[in-house]
Amino acid sequence: MSTGTATVRVELFGIPQLLTGRRQVEVPGRTLREVAGALAQEFPALAGSVVDPATGWINGGYLFVVDGRFTRDPSCPVGPESSVLLVSAQAGGAS
Amino acid sequence: MNAVHGRYLHIDLSSGTARACPLTEDVFARLIGGIGLASYLLYRFCPLGADPLGPENPLVFASSPFIGTGITTASKIAVAAKSPQTGMIGDSLSSSYLALALKRTGYDALVITGQAPGWTVLAVDDSEIRLLPGSDLLGLDPAATAGAVRAELGSGFRVAAIGVAGERGVRYASISNDGRLAGRTGTGAVMGSKRLKALAVRGTQRLPAVADPRGVVRAARELAARSLGPGTAKYRELGTAANLAFFSRLGVLPTRNFQAGTFEAAEAISGERLFLEHRTDKHGCAACTIGCEHHYRTRDSGEAVEVRLEYESLFALGSLCGVSDPNAVLRAAALCDRYGMDAISTGSTIAWAMECVERGVRLPGRPEEWPRFGDAEGLLRTIEAIGERRGLGDLLAEGSRRAAEITGQGSEAWAMHVKGLELPGYDPRKLKAMALGFAVSTRGACHNRSSAYEVDFSDQLDPHAEALAWARAAARSEDRAAVLDSLTVCKFLRHCFSDFFAEAADLFERVTGLPMSADELRLAGERINTVKKLFNIRQGWTRADDTLPSRLLSGEAGGLTAAELDRLIQAYYRVRGWDEQGQVPPERLRDLGLADLLADGRMMREYA
Repeated sequence: MSTGTATVRVELFGIPQLLTGRRQVEVPGRTLREVAGALAQEFPALAGSVVDPATGWINGGYLFVVDGRFTRDPSCPVGPESSVLLVSAQAGGAS
Repeated sequence: MNAVHGRYLHIDLSSGTARACPLTEDVFARLIGGIGLASYLLYRFCPLGADPLGPENPLVFASSPFIGTGITTASKIAVAAKSPQTGMIGDSLSSSYLALALKRTGYDALVITGQAPGWTVLAVDDSEIRLLPGSDLLGLDPAATAGAVRAELGSGFRVAAIGVAGERGVRYASISNDGRLAGRTGTGAVMGSKRLKALAVRGTQRLPAVADPRGVVRAARELAARSLGPGTAKYRELGTAANLAFFSRLGVLPTRNFQAGTFEAAEAISGERLFLEHRTDKHGCAACTIGCEHHYRTRDSGEAVEVRLEYESLFALGSLCGVSDPNAVLRAAALCDRYGMDAISTGSTIAWAMECVERGVRLPGRPEEWPRFGDAEGLLRTIEAIGERRGLGDLLAEGSRRAAEITGQGSEAWAMHVKGLELPGYDPRKLKAMALGFAVSTRGACHNRSSAYEVDFSDQLDPHAEALAWARAAARSEDRAAVLDSLTVCKFLRHCFSDFFAEAADLFERVTGLPMSADELRLAGERINTVKKLFNIRQGWTRADDTLPSRLLSGEAGGLTAAELDRLIQAYYRVRGWDEQGQVPPERLRDLGLADLLADGRMMREYA
């Protein structure tokens, strides 16, 4: 990653929040793939369960929400003004 | 075919008699089992215009071909009756060892009609039926009832029981078994109307063989392994309570009776906070490898309470009522379990009353006892009053729709229900697919029979996509849910399949020996939803019933408008092949293979 890459604020929910002990973090990145890689690098607890070390991308049970839009597109551009959330995918239960 | 017995037991509580009746292979081939089978039997046995709390309303318990096969999570019992909340189909699903016990009796389903002369425990012991006195169990909660029944009959019995709410006809009373609930649509009130305090089942028969034992074992192992993968991590590690803070951040957390979508105190009752400060343990349902059931304990100065808590209970008894004390929410959830009441309808009906108080609408009882938003003590006091049908609780036991109709003074405007069933914890103003799913759902506002929120919480559709695309997605979601509910497999498994319909069809074929393709299984899902729709039409459904509360259709802040919802509904009817009024044309019934299966003459002959 080149120096001078903008910092992105990422709000963490659910397991990522518990693993890092943080509700909000700031990492460098211009795309979601770079953000995911930076998250795993700065918070090793996320590597494996949330970010796949082999691909550097989030596991199937997770999604990003960028400016209100859900996405799993690693090339999605982000910047300092972006609202970025890392969340678990949703699925309802029985009853 | 394999994996079923091909018969059900029809029990008439009025006469105390029972008779075995055949279930033909084509019923399972077309409607699978579980919710599909229960809906079919309800359609066949419920007379037109039946009083939901009258003896003529059948109470159906159904199993499925998958139960007892070792397939993970497939130990759910399907319950169906005409709902005392909606007057339409009431279907519910509960994970429990009761499902396995029923299948071991040698029957695929129980159809219970009539009304016992006094409070009764119905014991089904293989083929033997006994009606035992139940009046000494009155006043006990479901868990204590089950304990007393098993102490009397033997630990080999599995028990479904109602609490005080079911005894007293709270319209959203639930049926409890093994601590799990057939929670929604008021089947516990139906059970109570039959003076049935408990159903005890013991089965000692061999389970029917599957068609391809090796193939089933291999597939079941693979599925169990996948159930421990990333697709279910959230549920295993944190539980559904994790939704709350995230939903609030997105603005879709129903707050103060849907007056807002963000709760300023969300962090205090968030799943993350509960996990760190209140969680004690986690469990799995019967035959489940996932283990999503998280238990929490109060941490205040009062008597300690431990309770299972899901997101739906958390939102309904928390943000919806403006309550930010996690200990109060846990106590409220425990009270709902103890009285045997659906937490969503309980919280939502209380939230309606809270808004009445806020707006100066006069309610029964003493004003100092009326609940107010944010009033934790008032919430707990009102739950007890509802369970016992005391004072204001007697009105609220009717549910928000009826309570508003009785109260008037404009309060119908903030009764947050669809068809009489209170909304779950998804504010549909910003969730277009879920809004459509709620509006057209056959059992009223329901996230489990539709799961369309999954479309909203994904990048599957552009927000500006045409109505037909949303309608197709909503219909597809309903059909998949119907298949899962009829296979009696947990919805948390759905992301453990890479191609759900193809893999589930293959599994169905290995279990039953009946040929099944992916397309045929998807069609079975549509067929099951159509049976439910036909039940509703026969019981008086009209186009006007497919809608949302007006509060949700103001279009404010970019939310949904009434005109937009109407376009979505019309598109949905087109996708289903229905006419503009939502009626199912005869040719559609023929295409689905339902015309002969549901012929009224056949139903009435058997009922007679």
